[in-house]
Amino acid sequence: MAAPCSRMIVGRPWWHFIIPTVSKTGPNQIWFRKLSNAVQTRSQSDRVASPWTLHGAVCLQRLPVISQERNPIEGQFAELLHRMELERSLLSEHEQRLLEDKERMARKQAEDYDSDEEAEYGDQETITAQDQEDAWEQKRKQFQLAQRFRDLDGDQQSVQRCLGDSLVLLAQQSLGPGKVWLLPQVPWQPGETLRQTAERALSSLPEADFKATFLGNAPCGVYQYKLPKSVRTESCQGSKVFFFKALLSGRPSTSQNGPFLWVRKSELPDYLKPAYLEKVNRFILDL
Amino acid sequence: MSLALSRTLCRIFSRQTTAPSSFGIGGDFPVRQGPWFASVLTLKTSAPLRAEPKKKKKVDPRREQMVRERLRKKLKKLEKVPPELIPIEDFVTSAKCMDDTRVRSAPQLSFEESERRALLLKEWSRYKQTQHRAEMEAVRVAVETQREALEELRLESEELYQAALMPDPLLFPFNRQGPSYTPPKDQYEPPEGKYNNITKIYTQ
Repeated sequence: MAAPCSRMIVGRPWWHFIIPTVSKTGPNQIWFRKLSNAVQTRSQSDRVASPWTLHGAVCLQRLPVISQERNPIEGQFAELLHRMELERSLLSEHEQRLLEDKERMARKQAEDYDSDEEAEYGDQETITAQDQEDAWEQKRKQFQLAQRFRDLDGDQQSVQRCLGDSLVLLAQQSLGPGKVWLLPQVPWQPGETLRQTAERALSSLPEADFKATFLGNAPCGVYQYKLPKSVRTESCQGSKVFFFKALLSGRPSTSQNGPFLWVRKSELPDYLKPAYLEKVNRFILDL
Repeated sequence: MSLALSRTLCRIFSRQTTAPSSFGIGGDFPVRQGPWFASVLTLKTSAPLRAEPKKKKKVDPRREQMVRERLRKKLKKLEKVPPELIPIEDFVTSAKCMDDTRVRSAPQLSFEESERRALLLKEWSRYKQTQHRAEMEAVRVAVETQREALEELRLESEELYQAALMPDPLLFPFNRQGPSYTPPKDQYEPPEGKYNNITKIYTQ
């Protein structure tokens, strides 16, 4: 399922996806190249002139821990494949042993049985393949596997819910008048890259210590919004939020009670605003 | 010829000195206890001296060199043989599989069963095609979103844009455990065991 997909991405170096941006912006490209020497001074003036404040946000995902349930068609096909493979295969050694044991038992029970004709096996006669199978079955029953389904599916604060799906972290932060559910974000401070801003956003969450691996220095999405007219000023018309992807690594500590949730992609519309959701849905993959 | 000459010389000298030889047989016999013992006054013409002269002094080293060169050439010819190829175990059908007793009796499929199988395979290919298309579309949209984000960043600040384009050296090698059928158990102690590795290692 993922094989053709991964061939698409892994086969090409990652910067192949970045380079087209440089070629597509025509006149801008030349303009920027001329002033590339004075990047720092230019960036300073650029920042002052721009009316947008920058925010860095983190899209922390917990990837699935167990495989998903099979669809009906997937179940049927898996069963069919299993049967076809069995039909086309050769007998294994264990099966050959089973057949031989059966024949030997049949011969023993026959009326004209002469034990002297049988070759001397010694101890091998006492342990048949069937006995071994039974012993193995017993041993397997003694081992308890962990449950696939747990009752935590309803608890949206627990990171152990819905082990078969990938979950996204949502935090409740106060933007303007009221509290809003969104991906954890923090305003950008001069002197740091946006990725460092995103890392700060993750670490500054109250009562949360998540170990995450950030996937690269480039943002995966952007959302810009204008402040309401009452708050708008000359220098600050709105803000742009740059999202960075991160994967949760390691086992998180069990007790986490803070104002955040772990939700699946299908549950995102319950919490996020429509315009925000539209932008965020594009880079959150539920594959 | 030189041997004959040396012998006549010996005889001449021995005739003149018959008297002092006390253990001689007597008479006009040349006193010689065999070719190896000549009397004191004779020339030291012992057998090794009288044998073929050592004229091989020039030819000998050359001959030895020739012998050594021939050996070296033979060695090179032997070494030119290409090394034996290491057999790939997967490509070699083991003798166990060719055994006739292992053949499973193939069951006869009814017409309905074979029809059902063919239809299921076709439906599966259709299902997989829609799934693949959805995946490709999702990836394309994600890449497009990233491109737009970088454009916006560039409009904002060139410095941050350049920082975003930098590759992350700490990201690779990236390892992650994939999903399993059952979740991992907390505080599970796997049983201790020992194993002997019997893989065949070939050296060239």
